[in-house]
Amino acid sequence: MASVKLTKVKKIYDNKVVAVHDFDLDIHDKEFVVFVGPSGCGKSTTLRMIAGLEEISEGTVEIDGEVVNDLQPKDRGIAMVFQNYALYPHMTVYDNIAFSLRLKKVPEDVVYEKVTNAAEILGITEYLMRKPRALSGGQRQRVAIGRAMVRDSKVFLMDEPLSNLDAKLRNQMRAEIILLRQKLDTTFIYVTHDQTEAMTLGDRIVIMKDGYIMQVGTPTEVFEMPSNLFVAEFIGAPKMNVVKTNLVREGDEYFVTPFGAKLPVKGEKGRMLLEKNIPSGEILLGVRPEHIVLAKEGENAIACSLVVNEMMGSELHLHVNTTDGTGLIVRVPTIDLDAQGRNALVGGHDLHITFEGKAMHFFDPATEKNLLV
Amino acid sequence: MKQYSDLEYLRLSKGQRFLYKLMAFFMAIPRAIGHFFLNIGVYIKKAAQGVANECKDIVTTFTQGDWKTKTSFVIMGFGNLARGQILRGLLFLLFEVVFIFYMVFTGGYWMSMLPSLGKVGPTSEYNAVLDTYVTAYNDNSFKILLYGVLTIFFIVAFIYTWRVNVEQNKLAEQALRSGKKLKSDKDDLRSMVDEQFYKTLLALPMTGILVFTVMPIVFMVLVAFTNYDGAHNGFSNNLFSWVGLDNFNTLLSWTGGNGGGQSYSATFGEILTWTLIWAFLATFTNYFLGMFVAMMINKKGIRLKKMWRTVLVMTVAIPQFISLLYVSKMFARNGLINLSLLDLGLIKQPLPFWEDPTWARVSVIIINIWVGIPYLMLITTGILMNIPADLYESARIDGANAWQQYRKITLPYMLFITGPYLLTSFTGNMNNFNVIYLLTGGAPTNPAASGAAGSVGYTDLLITWLFKITTGAESQYYLASVVGIMVFVVVAFISLVVYNVLPSIKNEEDYQ
Amino acid sequence: MNEKRHMGLRTLNRVSNTSIYVILTIISVIWLLPFVFITLQSFRVESTYQVGYVIPKQWGLQNYINLWNSDFKRWYINTFIIALASAVLITIIQLCMSYTLSRFRFKMRGPLMRFMLILGMFPGMLTMIILYRVLSDLGLTQANAVPGLILVGVASSGMGYYVSKGFFDTIPKSLDEAARVDGATRFQVLCKIILPLSKPIVIYTILTAFMGPWGDFVFARYVAFGTSAGYNVAVGMYSWLTNDQIARMYTTFCAGGVIVAVPVTILFLCLQKYYVEGVTGGAVKG
Repeated sequence: MASVKLTKVKKIYDNKVVAVHDFDLDIHDKEFVVFVGPSGCGKSTTLRMIAGLEEISEGTVEIDGEVVNDLQPKDRGIAMVFQNYALYPHMTVYDNIAFSLRLKKVPEDVVYEKVTNAAEILGITEYLMRKPRALSGGQRQRVAIGRAMVRDSKVFLMDEPLSNLDAKLRNQMRAEIILLRQKLDTTFIYVTHDQTEAMTLGDRIVIMKDGYIMQVGTPTEVFEMPSNLFVAEFIGAPKMNVVKTNLVREGDEYFVTPFGAKLPVKGEKGRMLLEKNIPSGEILLGVRPEHIVLAKEGENAIACSLVVNEMMGSELHLHVNTTDGTGLIVRVPTIDLDAQGRNALVGGHDLHITFEGKAMHFFDPATEKNLLV
Repeated sequence: MKQYSDLEYLRLSKGQRFLYKLMAFFMAIPRAIGHFFLNIGVYIKKAAQGVANECKDIVTTFTQGDWKTKTSFVIMGFGNLARGQILRGLLFLLFEVVFIFYMVFTGGYWMSMLPSLGKVGPTSEYNAVLDTYVTAYNDNSFKILLYGVLTIFFIVAFIYTWRVNVEQNKLAEQALRSGKKLKSDKDDLRSMVDEQFYKTLLALPMTGILVFTVMPIVFMVLVAFTNYDGAHNGFSNNLFSWVGLDNFNTLLSWTGGNGGGQSYSATFGEILTWTLIWAFLATFTNYFLGMFVAMMINKKGIRLKKMWRTVLVMTVAIPQFISLLYVSKMFARNGLINLSLLDLGLIKQPLPFWEDPTWARVSVIIINIWVGIPYLMLITTGILMNIPADLYESARIDGANAWQQYRKITLPYMLFITGPYLLTSFTGNMNNFNVIYLLTGGAPTNPAASGAAGSVGYTDLLITWLFKITTGAESQYYLASVVGIMVFVVVAFISLVVYNVLPSIKNEEDYQ
Repeated sequence: MNEKRHMGLRTLNRVSNTSIYVILTIISVIWLLPFVFITLQSFRVESTYQVGYVIPKQWGLQNYINLWNSDFKRWYINTFIIALASAVLITIIQLCMSYTLSRFRFKMRGPLMRFMLILGMFPGMLTMIILYRVLSDLGLTQANAVPGLILVGVASSGMGYYVSKGFFDTIPKSLDEAARVDGATRFQVLCKIILPLSKPIVIYTILTAFMGPWGDFVFARYVAFGTSAGYNVAVGMYSWLTNDQIARMYTTFCAGGVIVAVPVTILFLCLQKYYVEGVTGGAVKG
């Protein structure tokens, strides 16, 4: 039950490599914040600095208003779940979970109470007398979470806790973490490289790249209004289509002209362009695959040919090439197509696509920043 | 030399590739050595810069510090005491007091004598009580050198501690100014088992190494620049004194037979050559034969694997002095082998295992194989079993026979994994005292080198020669010290070359 | 055709396996024979010098009785004390050293390891002279050689940290970190997490430290020179094989060899598994 505040936190390794640059973030009490980014972006390093496992080169970390830079991990009031679980191999599940309590010299009956209680919640009661090596991946994960739970900590840190599990188990554990969060009602900081996990778990998402924060926002914000090209491409799967094209202003109307087509930018996005008084010029246009629709031939449609059709069940992923050879991905819900239309979608098939103004994202080609932010 | 690109390299024939790699290997050596000296230059520059920075820091600490800090420059630990860190303060103060007392009462004397290593040797004085002349011992060169070195160590430690003391004041002031609390004595004690635990753990081992390894090595290196020997033992007969580089001249100059024919440098050269040949043969015969035995035992379908291994491992357990001494006597002129062969009438004369130079050298190498194979078998067994089986499977599908599998998979893999081990094993064999000393004691004697200290034999390594010099009648410690330094130089040179060159030619064999 | 090739492969395999058995048998015999000889000769009564046959003509325990009546008892006890003390102290020192260098990242770590690497390149024999003088100043030579040998052996043992550090490096660091987050101090991490997981390397270190002194020869001889009461078995028994004693003491030497080798070998064979793990790991890590 605590806020966490990072002010200009920096990590410089001995060999002068800067892993994290001036990291500023305010995490509110009971908030669930996810650090997400590709490997090597500094997300784990930041988490480990909060935990006290990594020295903070510059800046301060505050937990509950207290600067904790010089405190040992155990004195920071945190609990942590590690990627490879880090269960003590020579102890039973019970002893693993009880370890921190015993170090605190908690009476044995209280230890028993707390450990069995946590085991109950996590559904691992029957494994309490087993050693970690006799457990499956999912069970080990639960033990690791149980070990963190009994600490009654102010902040709950999780470092890629699901990345060692298979896909099915990962989905299941993800749901359980959401439940756990409701039960524990404490501050969570969660590190992952998987944007789906970030979107589904986080109240707020911190997207990082090369040690810099690219954007901080709610899942909706980062999805709908990515502040730069990196975030736009990182969030969402399959990733956003980006093409270099021109933005044309005619009076108070805006158009984009990808691949010879001329698409009007209507509605909210058009109004925002006008407000910002964006001039005509070259831009990077981003459109998510799910926002592209199949269309009839016409001025507002882009002609292309189908290369690969991936059947995903509920939807089709169409890999298409435009006339100049640029590759795009289109997501089409299966339910929108009748059997005939579906069967026609084989390699070499010609089709036309289009998209609306509200689906468009505009980026400066030089800075890659979102023009509307 | 022409550098080939990857594609050009691929077009070379097998022989050309080998030549190219060989050239690359030798071309890399001077570069590696150049790098080393360049690095030394950089290091010196860095060190000088560091010293300058330290001095600047000390001055600013003094000028900007408060009175507590300023006092601490003279009375160590004063700042800590004044700011409530009693424990730290007392330790600093204690160290200073001990240091001053030591320097005043004994350290100063040792330091003042160090340049001359003693002025007055033992004298004969008339003793009125006993009514006879007794020897009075005065200065003791050995002790002067020993305690001189210790005192220098102590002074360095004092300067360092003083510097830490100054630094602590600076940090304390900074912390107090920014409103932080200083660590209390309790914090300090607690951190000894936590964040500072490494200091606690290292204290004892490092003290041991400092006193029983570093200090003796420094001392012995210094001995190389004196004339310390049996006739100048620095105490009961003559004092010894500094002689500069004379001893190195003696060992390395080509001129001047030493009574017994050849010069010292020739003797040294002979022993060094044999040492290197021995180290090379001892390392690689063991390595390949050990690997061969391990592969035989490991082969699929061979039964009783455990028994074969245990038989060999047992011989590792038996203390070397027993097995080596026994085998040495077994092969002696009147040993078991010769006597039984004579009894059987197979030979007329005893075989000269330890009497003929060539016989002796071959014998020690063969017996060393006997000693070393079990050990190498153990090491290689573990690694062989770790080679991924799919490498062999894919090689077999590609049509490789057993020999090709060995050449293309096993051997490169083994060499890659055991590269560092081979290096340590090589240098270890260079200094393999036990095998040589217990088997032959260096025999047979080399008559050409009779002038050199100790009685030099054909199987003597540098290390056994060193031992003979120190235990011989003349006890030329200074010469032993020079030989020891030369061993260090050779070992360091080989290690340096191997460390620097090996990774560059191994890049293509990346198994990690 | 196919059938034929199959048969060929099988017979080929049988031939190569047979030859391997033959080679392995020969090797085993060569490796064991000297130890068989030494054991047989230790029971020989008819002569005490080297002879041209192996099987005694007259069996007896005379050599062992001689052993009992000689200084051998004293040497054996000396060696045993040194071995025991070394096993305890060297293990502690090496574990401290290797755990620290494996787990802590402090400023002087790199320079320290490089420094020790360079120190290791000096031949240890060089320092014997001064160590002897220092020990003799402390009164720890000749008859008092035992504590002196323990002191010197233990003091510099920190340099041999490589093997156990290699082992510690294989224990995931996240275990330490989890324990520290759980509230353990570094000391508690060592006692409660690392040591329980380090049984193989602890046993390996104890075993090698215990076995070392049984073969320690050079320095022991230097320190105890001339005083039989300070000898260890290696120094003492070496003196039996000098030219003026060998004719009288050869078979006694064999008996002594048996008495020394048997317990050490049994201990070694019991703990063989750990030894193998240790040397293999050590060689791989360099």
